[in-house]
Amino acid sequence: MNLPLPTAVPSPAPEAPHPRAGEHLSGADIIVQILVDEGCEVLFGYSGGAILPVYDAIFRHNAQHLRADGSEPMPLIVPANEQGAGFMAAGHARASGKVGVAVVTSGPGATNLVTPIRDAMADSVPMLAICGQVPTAVLGSDAFQEAPVANIMASCAKHVFLVTEPEQLEATLRTAFEIARSGRPGPVVVDIPKDVQNAMLAFDGACRLPIPGYRARLRATAQSQLGEDACARFFNALAQARRPLIYAGGGVIAADASAALHEFATTFGIPVTTTLMGLGGFDTTHPLALHMLGMHGTAYANYAVEDCDFLIALGARFDDRVAGVPARFAPRAQFIAQIDIDAAEVGKVKAVDWHHVGPLRAALERLLRHGRARAAQPDFSAWHAHLAQLKRAHALDYDRDSVLIQPQAVIEAINRHTRGRAIISTGVGQHQMWAAQYFDFRAPRHWLTSGSMGTMGFGLPAAIGAQFARPDALVIDIDGDGSIRMNLGELETVTSYGLPLKIVVLNNVGDGMVRQWQKLFFDGRFSATDRSLRRKDFVMAAQADGFGWVRRLERKEDLETVIAEFLAHPGAAFLEVMIDPDAGVYPMVGPGKSYAQMITGPFIAERGESAIAPAQTADMF
Amino acid sequence: MKHTLFILLQNESGALLRVAGLFAARHCNIDTLTVATTHDPAISQLTLVMHGSTALLEQVVRQTRKLVDVLDVNTLSLVGTEQRLLALASSA
Ligand SMILES: Cc1ncc(C[n+]2csc(CCOP(=O)(O)OP(=O)(O)O)c2C)c(N)n1
Ligand SMILES: [Mg+2]
Repeated sequence: MNLPLPTAVPSPAPEAPHPRAGEHLSGADIIVQILVDEGCEVLFGYSGGAILPVYDAIFRHNAQHLRADGSEPMPLIVPANEQGAGFMAAGHARASGKVGVAVVTSGPGATNLVTPIRDAMADSVPMLAICGQVPTAVLGSDAFQEAPVANIMASCAKHVFLVTEPEQLEATLRTAFEIARSGRPGPVVVDIPKDVQNAMLAFDGACRLPIPGYRARLRATAQSQLGEDACARFFNALAQARRPLIYAGGGVIAADASAALHEFATTFGIPVTTTLMGLGGFDTTHPLALHMLGMHGTAYANYAVEDCDFLIALGARFDDRVAGVPARFAPRAQFIAQIDIDAAEVGKVKAVDWHHVGPLRAALERLLRHGRARAAQPDFSAWHAHLAQLKRAHALDYDRDSVLIQPQAVIEAINRHTRGRAIISTGVGQHQMWAAQYFDFRAPRHWLTSGSMGTMGFGLPAAIGAQFARPDALVIDIDGDGSIRMNLGELETVTSYGLPLKIVVLNNVGDGMVRQWQKLFFDGRFSATDRSLRRKDFVMAAQADGFGWVRRLERKEDLETVIAEFLAHPGAAFLEVMIDPDAGVYPMVGPGKSYAQMITGPFIAERGESAIAPAQTADMF
Repeated sequence: MKHTLFILLQNESGALLRVAGLFAARHCNIDTLTVATTHDPAISQLTLVMHGSTALLEQVVRQTRKLVDVLDVNTLSLVGTEQRLLALASSA
């Protein structure tokens, strides 16, 4: 497999030549020019020997193109650790829909990016990682700071390029952007040896790599339209249904299809539940919204899944946090329909009766046109009444009378101010689930969470990236004491760049989510999850890093006033809340359990027929 | 059940690793793998034999078709005792 690489092809019919076409530029300058051309507004990364030429080119670019107000056109934001840079780029991408870019050095710089790259892959986030690499002459010689980045990243990313021919650099980088954002989005890694960055090259301005297989499949998917027949079959099934339900995933947000989903759901009166990744894809305050389903979904959403007779999966993949037991998921559904951009997700977990592989927005718009013109308006009023009753009888609730501060009350108090309009990021654990459950989400790209990978340490750097994408937005990181520790060095990044970020640590003195499982499945032996002997003083840490507003909240009666002050502070603010360490996340569908076995906990009414049988699920995850 | 996959692959650096890595990551054992050149030096043909259910085959083929360097995937599966050849899936 060491044959020469195919040469770059010019892009089809370029409208006008690039203004710099024909110029002789260094590889590093070409990289910067392409970042500019692709609309990149900010970079995240940490320097080092193997990426120095690129860092120098970025410096020169910013110095030469200073804006009138003195700001840089493409600032390079430096984290405490490259993992932070990766999550900042991902946070930027999730909040903006654009490709987030991280630029790091070889070896340890690149390997520190492995977790964010895998995280972006698992949540279908468009990202580009540019990694410096040792010069081609010493590739494979165990050189200083050499790591087999293309090998390592190949199993994590959507695609990886190792650029060994300088002439391929320009086409490769442009193609990397194309791959990251097209089809099902994902992270692309470009590994660039230092001599390639230094090579003098003629800039073409438009060339791309030939990737005929990928492009042909992409074109086929993009152009695949729902035919008359398929639409008719869908609406015939809907006409038979009495209890239809939309199950919407992160694909709705990635496909920019939330407006189409709103039209579709409201036109036909079909209720909507979303996955963790789908939150914000449908306004959770809408009467048809059932909020989140799944392991820690609302009881009424999960009951609706149990009761529905027609399930419509939109950009959702029946993963194990939603369909822990696929065979018993939506057991009364006579008909399951699925629309996804990725053919491999159709029928992967659960067989479906109708499917379409293609762009979601176009598919929903097509169904909408067909349904409006041809189908009789179905009457689902009995189902709506049933769901309204479920929502009333099984609403989320918690220990409101406790003298201890309940985490859910903290989220509710913040939500009374933000009303579903703030951008919320999280770590991973109980606090993440309480945030998902108790916040309203009125629009897409306001909820940034590590869904599939569940990576602790995501919240703070993701919030930083989001604040760069949306400088005027209120961005709040709802974090856990364990999760925030993982990238605590990024506190300083917040204040160094003067970001008005708001950070809330729901401190339950330990790994609450793991303790919850230890309570349920390991007789309460809290192996390695109790932090009561730890010395960390979060308040002093935030003060040391220059936060202008810092507070530890310990008394329930101060909650409302402290939250109001915290959110009113114009600059960076840090709030640690000492919460009830025993607070649990409910409802819970245990691993390997069906929705009928959901535990609703002590404060949410259960519907009956649920039997809790722990143990024997110990090997489920 | 034994399945043979014919994969046309762009001859990019690391392309073979990405195909083999995908099978390993998806918990799918490769029994044999041969790589041959084609009349076009930029394209290789992989012939890969694996065993597993048709569901596993279908899933791994769909995943293989998502690899950027993959041009085409065809499969042949040996069904039953008569060693009858049955074409199950065709081009990407
Ligand atoms: C990087 C990483 N390591 C380990 C885990 C396993 N894990 C999941 S939740 C959790 C506890 C999180 O603690 P904290 O951030 O304090 O959140 P809490 O559950 O207490 O709200 C752990 C250890 C993980 N998700 N990510
Ligand atoms: Mg905790």
